[in-house]
Amino acid sequence: MEKKVYFDIKWVVILAIVGFLLIFQVFPLLYLVYRSFFSSGSFSLEGLKRIYSYPLNWLCLKNTIITAGLAMIFGVILAFPLAWLVGRTNLYGKKFFRTLFVTTYMVPPYVGAMAWLRLLNPSVGTLNVFIQNLFHLESTPFNIYSVGGLVWVLTTFYYPYAFITISRAMEKMDPSLEEASRISGASPLKTVFTVTLPLMFPSIVAAALLVFVAAASCYGIPSIIGAPGQIYTVTTRIVDYVYIGSQEGLTDATNLAVFLMAIALIILYISNFVVGKKEYITVSGKSTRPNIVDLGKWRIPITLLVCCFALIVVIIPFFSVVTTSFTVNMGKSLFAPGNLTTKYWHTITSRKSILGSAKNSLISAVWAASLGMVVCLIMAYLLKRTTVRGKQIPDFLITVGSGTPSVVIALALIMTMSGKFGINIYNTMMIMVVAYMIKYMLMGMRTVVSAFSQVSPSLEEAAQISGAGWLRRLKDVLFPLIVPSIVAGWFLIFMPCFYELTMSNLLYSTDTKTLGVELFTYQTYHSQQTASALATAILVVVIVLNVVMDKLTKGKFSI
Amino acid sequence: MSVITIRGVSKAFGKVVVLKEFTDEFQDGEFITFLGPSGCGKTTMLRMIAGFEKPTSGEILIDGKPVSAPGVFVPPEKREIGMVFQSYAVWPHMNVFDNVAYPLKIKKMPKAEIQKKVTAILEVVHLSQYADRMPSQLSGGQQQRVALGRALVAEPKLLLLDEPLSNLDAKLRESMRYEIKEIQRKLGITVVYVTHDQVEAMTMSDRVFIINRGVIQQMGSPIDIYRHPANQFVADFVGKVNFVKGTSANGKIHLKGVDQWLDYDGPLSGDVVVAIRPENMKLTEAEGHLKGTLSSMFYLGDVNDCQVSFGDVTLRVTAESHTYDKLTQGSEVGVVISDFLVYEDDGTDDYSKILT
Repeated sequence: MEKKVYFDIKWVVILAIVGFLLIFQVFPLLYLVYRSFFSSGSFSLEGLKRIYSYPLNWLCLKNTIITAGLAMIFGVILAFPLAWLVGRTNLYGKKFFRTLFVTTYMVPPYVGAMAWLRLLNPSVGTLNVFIQNLFHLESTPFNIYSVGGLVWVLTTFYYPYAFITISRAMEKMDPSLEEASRISGASPLKTVFTVTLPLMFPSIVAAALLVFVAAASCYGIPSIIGAPGQIYTVTTRIVDYVYIGSQEGLTDATNLAVFLMAIALIILYISNFVVGKKEYITVSGKSTRPNIVDLGKWRIPITLLVCCFALIVVIIPFFSVVTTSFTVNMGKSLFAPGNLTTKYWHTITSRKSILGSAKNSLISAVWAASLGMVVCLIMAYLLKRTTVRGKQIPDFLITVGSGTPSVVIALALIMTMSGKFGINIYNTMMIMVVAYMIKYMLMGMRTVVSAFSQVSPSLEEAAQISGAGWLRRLKDVLFPLIVPSIVAGWFLIFMPCFYELTMSNLLYSTDTKTLGVELFTYQTYHSQQTASALATAILVVVIVLNVVMDKLTKGKFSI
Repeated sequence: MSVITIRGVSKAFGKVVVLKEFTDEFQDGEFITFLGPSGCGKTTMLRMIAGFEKPTSGEILIDGKPVSAPGVFVPPEKREIGMVFQSYAVWPHMNVFDNVAYPLKIKKMPKAEIQKKVTAILEVVHLSQYADRMPSQLSGGQQQRVALGRALVAEPKLLLLDEPLSNLDAKLRESMRYEIKEIQRKLGITVVYVTHDQVEAMTMSDRVFIINRGVIQQMGSPIDIYRHPANQFVADFVGKVNFVKGTSANGKIHLKGVDQWLDYDGPLSGDVVVAIRPENMKLTEAEGHLKGTLSSMFYLGDVNDCQVSFGDVTLRVTAESHTYDKLTQGSEVGVVISDFLVYEDDGTDDYSKILT
């Protein structure tokens, strides 16, 4: 009998990528856990005990849980009605509002912090002074350097996460479920409370948990707003410990990081596997046209209300960042004589260090997005097109990586990739690229996986029966069909990497400073105006990239 | 142009056996059809021949060469088979010409030759004037012909068709049936065809395999299967049939619920099931084999579709269309039975439990 072995390049590629994930993600995170529990050589809970026995640690943990918890509650309270109004009613300007709220999602968190710092600074905050004058108050009404201030900024920045999740679930819901309620005699409002809301419950819980984890892992906002007000959170505390660099500090940082990671992953587990299973919403495959609720005489008042919200939460903050970048003296009005300047814009476009950082950011983000998409494509293939046992593990790892707080990822990489275990990429751009990939690949993965689901396997089988091998099939059939998704996924990884702050802040070296770090340094130590100019530039880049993505993918994937 | 040998092939997904051991040989130029309800294992069989699934046991040979056997596996792309998928699987990003030319491009054929062969095959599938169209600009039937052209262009040894007509409307299905049969005759290739539509199986096949729950129920020519169904499942699945329980004794069968007798000279005695096809009965105002009440009539144009009740049992009778004018609902009618089949009553109604 003639025996022929058909060599499969497929498995070589797949194994290489799984190996990459194991070395650069699984190992560092596991090592962190190991260090936390086995710091003295044998198993002990001493590390965890230190978290609550040492007041400094305990306080920051408390702050994190309180601020993230409140941001979660307020975020959902804002997001659900907004998602319903935008998705299911005849609100004026629905499309505009939708784009506006969703765009916030793509804005770096620290930009929001900068904006609110400017608006609600207890002595010179623009909005504070305005309200004080308006109502003839004795002092300014708000103090951004407080727990309340932190909650406010976290809420305004993270409610879009809930908005997007809930909107998506609403779009997917079969409208005939609501129609059945209406035909049974329920009013539109009654239908919302008896049908829509209960059906959406799993998605709302998922959205809430998402906001909680995002707010709890956030570093940019608490570091800009919390630090001046002496409000420390777990993330800022970890970064401080790493900066101090003492052995004891590193141990504390590790313990806090493991604790934060545990919270994040437990919540991820709950929302993915427990809530996910209770998902009532049925995707019908056909695009369903949701029934639109007529707001009647409330249409104009509610539209005005949403306008006010958008004005306060989105437009004024961004506007204040833009104006700050043109203001000489921030205590005076922009239009006071001699106060309008472009010198900060001149600075950011000419100073060598800033341009260098921009270049670093660009290069590392391009690498992270490109390598990330290769990983996503191959792992999505593994997940969707093979029947191997354990094929969902890489997908799971990518989900876990994205759910892990940035500080934790950075800390884990610092501890394992500095030569201790034979790999030394510390102080190189590569360590940042790796960190970015771990944190942001999920977006690319989701996009590609859903694209794979939409391409029937028989299209590939048809190529196979026509004689095409694996690589040929990918090149001729699968990739051309999912190009829009690949482009979208690339941008979705690229954008957050481009302005990333948290991980870069811990991983950069003098040669690999990035835009986020540069901006953060200017904001905290040198010149808020220069930082604002940088932030505005980043905003413009993000918006332009969104438009480009919209054009390239024919509107399918714009954020 | 090729012989397919299947020896003891079975397939299980984990513990679920989807196809029990199967052995046969498909001859050169034969048109073989696997007919059965969805989930019966017929598509799995086809996909094993194509190489998309590996058999759990047994071996498959094409022209005497093992392609799936213990220790041997030739992947689909090396088998030189043509296949048409249920969803057509026409690549939406390539035009008609490129879709059809693809297998030749893989073979690195010279451009001029590709041009020639594709043009020729497009002629065969009546798509010559659509070469530059994109699939989205084509109707279902045209897309289906693109898929057929692509499957045929490399002159495969074997053509596999997986429910190719199930997504088409009735009219188109009929004309495509003739076209596929015509093409097969012209090219003289071996075809394995999978369908759940008995008319497709009847009109095109040389041999039909009726499959249910992973087991071959009967194999034979279409005529054989229709006239002599091996069991109740086949009788029920191919064509229409009425089942009536009865008791056979002394050259007569007593029909339960009907409480009338039929003459029977077959070998079975005791509890039996009588199968009568609706078209094998005639209605008459005179005396027939059975006497019943005409409970309803539906005029379908070509025939008069009637329900005749006998106490607890109602039989469906396909009467000639002119009877609609003569008979009235509720009247007494005589039923003349020209042919019926008798099966042993094993006490189950398994035949009706079609896997879905």
